[in-house]
Amino acid sequence: MSVYIHLDMNEMPYLPPENVVRAAQKGLLNLNRYAEQKDLEHLKSLLADYSGVPEEHIVLSAGSDLLLREIVHSFSRGRKIVMVSPSFLPTVQAAKQFATKLVSIRLSPPEFVLKPELLLDEAEASALVIIDNPNNPTGKILLERPTVEAVLDHEDTFLVIDEAYFEFSGVTFADLVSDHPNLAITRTMDKAFSLAGARIGYLLVGNYFLDVFSSFYAFLPQSSLHAAVEALNCTEYVRKNVKLIVDERKRLQKKIEDLGTSVSSSSTNFLLIKTEIPDLSVRLKNSGVLVSDVSSQLAPGSIRISVGTREENDAFINEYSKILEEANE
Amino acid sequence: MKRKIGLIVNPVAGMGGSVGLKGTDGDAYKRALKLGAQPVTPARTKDLFSHIRRKEEIDLFTAPGPMGEAHIHGFDISSAVIGRVAKQTSAEDTKRIAGEMLKQGLGLLIFVGGDGTARDIYDAVGLKMPVVAVPSGVKVFSAVFAFSARAAAEMVDAFIEGAHTAEEEVLDIDEKAFRENRLASTLYGYLLVPAVKRYLQGGKECSNISVSALESKKEIAAYVIEHMDKDALYLLGPGTTVKAIADAVGIPKTLLGVDALTDGRLVGSDINEKEILSLSQKFEKKRIIVTPIGGNGFIFGRGSKQFTPEVIKQVGRENIIVVGTRDKLNRLEALRVDTGDFSLDQTLSGYTDATVGYKETLKMEVRC
Repeated sequence: MSVYIHLDMNEMPYLPPENVVRAAQKGLLNLNRYAEQKDLEHLKSLLADYSGVPEEHIVLSAGSDLLLREIVHSFSRGRKIVMVSPSFLPTVQAAKQFATKLVSIRLSPPEFVLKPELLLDEAEASALVIIDNPNNPTGKILLERPTVEAVLDHEDTFLVIDEAYFEFSGVTFADLVSDHPNLAITRTMDKAFSLAGARIGYLLVGNYFLDVFSSFYAFLPQSSLHAAVEALNCTEYVRKNVKLIVDERKRLQKKIEDLGTSVSSSSTNFLLIKTEIPDLSVRLKNSGVLVSDVSSQLAPGSIRISVGTREENDAFINEYSKILEEANE
Repeated sequence: MKRKIGLIVNPVAGMGGSVGLKGTDGDAYKRALKLGAQPVTPARTKDLFSHIRRKEEIDLFTAPGPMGEAHIHGFDISSAVIGRVAKQTSAEDTKRIAGEMLKQGLGLLIFVGGDGTARDIYDAVGLKMPVVAVPSGVKVFSAVFAFSARAAAEMVDAFIEGAHTAEEEVLDIDEKAFRENRLASTLYGYLLVPAVKRYLQGGKECSNISVSALESKKEIAAYVIEHMDKDALYLLGPGTTVKAIADAVGIPKTLLGVDALTDGRLVGSDINEKEILSLSQKFEKKRIIVTPIGGNGFIFGRGSKQFTPEVIKQVGRENIIVVGTRDKLNRLEALRVDTGDFSLDQTLSGYTDATVGYKETLKMEVRC
């Protein structure tokens, strides 16, 4: 049992229901075997129902970051990569590694808005555009439907939208996948489905991407596969937990603001705060609370806090209040 | 062999903060005392020394009394006192004692204070001696400072272990403007610090996407040089990122001045507005290369007064090349201009592409 309160990785703080845990345990009984194709197909068909996208447009993977890396690797040749800054770090890392040219559009605080005209300017020439929507770590929705459609009108430009936090934001462009060959959407069951330990990622892809991903084989662990199938058969717990987290997020935001700290409004399961306390993440860690210092991508004092259970959030507020008091002494 | 290290503490730095004053420059110090302000540097200095691991490898040369000597009792460290001070200390004491430490050939100078103290140290030692800056002032915006006393202790240990040094900015904050909640700062100079970026103010935790600042500057320089037009005049503004371009070309560069380059040759060193205008008339194509000031993001109007509205207009907005490491630019809200000509500032506003690596650009907002 960890001694820390984990508010640093944007995980769901609640365990999945018992039947999902039992399904994962059942998977362990075949630990000597790879997952069977029919079971993988079954998971795809459930994800097709869940996403409203035809089964043949779904690609499975052990984590959506692997899918993003594969996309960057396969589609950046001869195309510049266009991203926003800040953005999901593993994607930035892959882009820096493989890009022949990398253009990042800075999201300026405090609003962190992506101006459509800036994106469209860059999308005109042949480009691979990768946007996390909502954005990590700002928590902001960056894309409106007209902007997405305008980018997709450039046939030689590929658009990838990372919807890791879609269940919290309720915003998706999955319905455009069937009609737009140059669109791909990455999703994960790590967050809203409480399955971070299972690492199930999936891709909703247009036809251009399918050419590359047709030979992409997902070696999903047996336990992860069975847990994911069971979870998709009882999604009510997801809706219930997401609502709990969204309510907690609002309460936590108000509590932090009451302490005089600025907080960005969020469409996810985390909050971005800007504090004047130097080294806050280290001080909180010393008090038993882990948060994520994102100052390497933003202004000094930028901290991302995942929304935990009510008790975990109160523990954070308690420790943060103490640190603020000490600083003001 | 033990390392000779100096210590200078500004005993009044930071006293204004607790009583709501934004600094202790000039009369503000007397007001802070009247309001019951207590010294904060003793605790900072003790915090620093309690976290230095290699104390037995240090021969400490400290300023007298409240400027250092009084705060090191209880630590097992060999020490000697340099200089004398009156009961009420001043900036002149800081400069004089720092100068004396430089003369005596110390390897490193630790100072505890704020931006004002950093400027005094810069006046006294410039780039001739590395420093570790412990933040204690009310205004601590200069990039030269470690982000905490504990981080400063790690930098002292890194120095003893042989870390390289790098230049970091010292800013001149207009305290009167700061008290009115306006941040008006100019680039004052550079000090040498142990190159341990993660312990410097704003550096924070280095992400795994970061390359070292030095590597990043080399990448930027390579990309800029690759795209240089040999018929054009390049006016190089101040800053270490721009200096990296000059270094890669193989010409000398003044850190705070404007230098001119064409076809790989230096054609002007530390030139003023008049010289820039005269030189640029000889060239059809001209470019300005600038890097923003860390912390506030000014590309014009703070760092180099030589880039006057007249110069900028003559070069043209489209010929301004902005460079900077990704880490430095990520810490800024936006780039800023304040040339003194508001209509020009408005022309310069909007979005611009800053070169942050080899074939890497960051599209950043310019505000006025």
